[in-house]
Amino acid sequence: MKTTMEHTISVHATSQGNGPAAFVRRVLKNRHFLYVVSIAGLLIIWHFFAVSSKDSKYMPTPFMVLNELWRIAHENLAGKNLWGHLWSSLHRVLIGFAIGSIVGVPLGLFMALNRYVNALVKPVFDLIKPMPPISWISLAILWFGIGEESKVFIIAIGALVPALINSYNGIRLVDPALYDAIRMLGANRWQTLVEVTFPAGFPALFAGLQISLSVAWSCVLAAELVSARSGMGFLIILGMTMSKPAMILSGMVVIAVTAYLITAVLSKVEKWVCPWKVELMQ
Amino acid sequence: MPVESRVDAMTDETIKIECRSVSKIFKQRGGKVQIPVLNSISLSVVENEFLVIVGPGQCGKTTLLRIIGGLETPTTGNVLLDGKEVSGPGPDRGMVFQKYTLFPWKTVMGNVEMGLKLGGMSKKERREIAGHYINLVGLQGFEKAFPHQLSGGMKQRVGIARAYANDPKVLLLDEPFGQLDAQTRYLMEQETARIWLAEKKTVVFVTNSIEEAVYLADRIVTLEGKLPGRMKSTYVVNLPRPREHIDKEFLKLRHMITHETELLL
Repeated sequence: MKTTMEHTISVHATSQGNGPAAFVRRVLKNRHFLYVVSIAGLLIIWHFFAVSSKDSKYMPTPFMVLNELWRIAHENLAGKNLWGHLWSSLHRVLIGFAIGSIVGVPLGLFMALNRYVNALVKPVFDLIKPMPPISWISLAILWFGIGEESKVFIIAIGALVPALINSYNGIRLVDPALYDAIRMLGANRWQTLVEVTFPAGFPALFAGLQISLSVAWSCVLAAELVSARSGMGFLIILGMTMSKPAMILSGMVVIAVTAYLITAVLSKVEKWVCPWKVELMQ
Repeated sequence: MPVESRVDAMTDETIKIECRSVSKIFKQRGGKVQIPVLNSISLSVVENEFLVIVGPGQCGKTTLLRIIGGLETPTTGNVLLDGKEVSGPGPDRGMVFQKYTLFPWKTVMGNVEMGLKLGGMSKKERREIAGHYINLVGLQGFEKAFPHQLSGGMKQRVGIARAYANDPKVLLLDEPFGQLDAQTRYLMEQETARIWLAEKKTVVFVTNSIEEAVYLADRIVTLEGKLPGRMKSTYVVNLPRPREHIDKEFLKLRHMITHETELLL
């Protein structure tokens, strides 16, 4: 799809002639060129804003942030360099996400498949669902202390909600006609579950896990902002107490890039596990 | 015609499907609203007969087919398949749906072999059989394609192959070409006739097109144009195959049915 689109665009452009105007038109139609313009524009505006501000201490330029990134990548802060802190956060995210989805996905599936389970679990879940996961933090610290457990607890709660909702909806919204089709082919209950319910519900379930992971990532930062001695949230707080905005911004950039990479990896995984879903992804 | 010879002709052919005064009432809002959909339909289909049920939209013809398939239960009356009452869906009846209803996560091969897989057949064996039917419907080379990569006509070829591969006693087709453009529809009608002649089955085919019915059917049953659906008339089509849409006899029959059913087409 993408290649044919680019193809038609280039054909269109060459048909306009080969002069400089055509060249400009071709460049302006190039998606990647515009991406670069967008990011470069942001950096330039940021730079001039920082340079013209009265106190450069509170508004560092992009170069200062880059410098700071280089420094904290090599220097230890509270016993760890940037990568050590990043790993601390990721480690918590992975454990919390694993717990949240291991509880949330089966619970969502059972709720969708059995109305008694649904009737018992749904009211409680509906009560917990609207609470922001961060609101558990004080309680979590009282229960589990300021160690790893309280952070993992919050992340697990945050990850559980979208994992459960999406696996529940994914199963409930399976096209009933597909059940007709598989039953006409002679499937028993178990075969119906394996051959239709699970594969048909899988894309929604997977989308839920993607949301879970991004919620988990914001939860870890919030938890670390409140109390931690390592992690990206801690690094940002450290930047604040040390009055080093460049350090805060470095931390934020690393957080954003990490989240972006996680999402990118997950969409690749999705393409690999549901190749039939390509149509919907474009 | 003398009565005796007619009886002979009847006993010569085994009755495959028998609908005995099938009625259906749909209930909505907890039974407060009752919609009668079918009214006392009685018909039988003999072995290897191609029966076409014709009626306009909303006349209950799809419901009748779903009752034969066991996907709906009749409110009164029953359906017999080989003399046994139908009590639910099963692999002895193969169904082709209007909206294709292929499994999007399965390839063409995966879809066609599904029934055999459910029946517990070994992979090698079912691949061979599925391959035969993929060839029969003219989709060789597309075994590894996913449904979203196929055109409507190709999707319905997969639907037909999937139903055929399971070797059902009867084939039920529910307006299978209703979503296709006119040209593809003609082609698929020809293909259906060709496939059926190659491997005969007892077929119940539901459509709203009289032309399609005359092209395909051994016998046509028309339903009345409003709910609840009642049987109107039956026509035996004795035209030789392959049929021509512009054949004189073809047009005559088509005109007669059109005239009598007051259907536009």
